[in-house]
Amino acid sequence: MAKNPLHTPFCEMFGIEYPIIAFTHCKDVVVAVTNAGGFSVLGEAMHTPDEIAADLKWIRDRIGTKPFGVDLVLPASVPPAGGLDELKSKIPQGHRDYADMIHKKYDVPEPKGKEALHQWGGLNQQMARAQLEVLLEERVPLLASGLGNPAFILDAAHARGIKVFGLVGKTRQAKREIEAGVDGIIAQGFDAAGHTGEMGTFSIVPEVVSIAQGKPVIAAGGVTTGRHLAAALCLGAAGVWTGTLWLASRESDVDMIIKERLIASTAEDTDFSKSISGMTMRVLKCPWTTEWKKPEAPAPLPAPYQMLLSSPYIQGANDNRRGDLMTEAAGQGVSFVTAMKPARQIVMDVVDEALTTFENLTGDD
Amino acid sequence: MDESSKPTTDRAVPGFDASVAGKRAECDGGGPILGTRYAGRQEFTGTLSGEFVDHGDPPWRWYLLKDLERKPDNYADECVWCESGSVFLVDEPNRVPGRP
Ligand SMILES: Cc1cc2nc3c(=O)[nH]c(=O)nc-3n(C[C@H](O)[C@H](O)[C@H](O)COP(=O)(O)O)c2cc1C
Repeated sequence: MAKNPLHTPFCEMFGIEYPIIAFTHCKDVVVAVTNAGGFSVLGEAMHTPDEIAADLKWIRDRIGTKPFGVDLVLPASVPPAGGLDELKSKIPQGHRDYADMIHKKYDVPEPKGKEALHQWGGLNQQMARAQLEVLLEERVPLLASGLGNPAFILDAAHARGIKVFGLVGKTRQAKREIEAGVDGIIAQGFDAAGHTGEMGTFSIVPEVVSIAQGKPVIAAGGVTTGRHLAAALCLGAAGVWTGTLWLASRESDVDMIIKERLIASTAEDTDFSKSISGMTMRVLKCPWTTEWKKPEAPAPLPAPYQMLLSSPYIQGANDNRRGDLMTEAAGQGVSFVTAMKPARQIVMDVVDEALTTFENLTGDD
Repeated sequence: MDESSKPTTDRAVPGFDASVAGKRAECDGGGPILGTRYAGRQEFTGTLSGEFVDHGDPPWRWYLLKDLERKPDNYADECVWCESGSVFLVDEPNRVPGRP
């Protein structure tokens, strides 16, 4: 019998049907994709340990014993400590004036709620460790580190039967993590939403595969169709890790205004910008990103200062649902997000198109 | 590690690693972005002072990178704490700092 090209080592590792991994912050998407035969990873970087425990219970009540994962953003560098007020006082006046100009020009409304920045208890090593502790205790089947090297937690995770994957933007990071003993790597290319590295998906995936010592490599960045999935498998990947694909799904909790923008957007409507956080991120273009790209704009400040500047804009736009101002992380594959479909249908469409692609490549006529 | 032993989160033990002190290093850094559901990458090149802090158990080691030659635009501080697994010694690219 012919080999099923979609049955990869990642499917073997977790006993799942399709090597399609949904990265999402939405628990309903996790449930829908998991129950459709794919694999889901819930982004929990901003949640407290108690919130994470509650989310895991909610998900498990709906998917039973099926496997799933959680992604944490383990930090890799931390500036010397400083309180929020101290940080704010270091923002240069020229940058404040430029932000004020944008607020006036676009009539950016005031945030309705308290700035999210004040609600967060501190993004430091202690927080990350407290989050990790819950995942270890709950024996989540897959722990993904969305940024830093997870080597220090490998023994503790493996002792509890947890697989650990690292998401990387450079081949040398992948090599480090493979040598440390991670179970797999997510190779994230420049096409991706959010914190991309500088290598394209088509370049980083085969490079990482070649040094991965047979461990599964998952391709991330710009994957939104079955043709992308087929291509990733041809590059040697054992699956695809997708974010943008689910943002406009029916189950997704993303604001309807953003869903409509995503559906109307193409790759050129995304911006690789430092203006939101001070670190490069791929997001949907918006007045804030456009203004900071102008020649007269000051160079964006490094994190966390630029975020302190941008958060009143982001929150004012979101709280008041100003579609002309709002933005969201989005990858270049957004061109193929063209309808608000149920997540199960998205899984099936990607699977069908990948299988057809393979058939077309290997068929007789 | 013994399965029953719980990792601890609250201990931070400072130390000095003479074997890396004074070495030039690159850090593939970054982290979560304050108040958002996003992350970001940041790169640095500088000199390791040798100072480190081990957080919790099993220890999560952080090295102090000083005299920064490469840092993000407008980065105001003179130093940065880098997670040992993300530190690459310029002259010994295959050595993982903090590991024998
Ligand atoms: C809205 C959004 C938020 C994201 N936040 C995180 C995050 O918290 N942690 C993380 O590891 N990756 C995050 N990512 C990136 C994804 O893990 C993934 O690498 C990316 O979405 C892949 O590219 P694609 O969107 O083109 O499929 C985010 C992506 C999106 C769309």
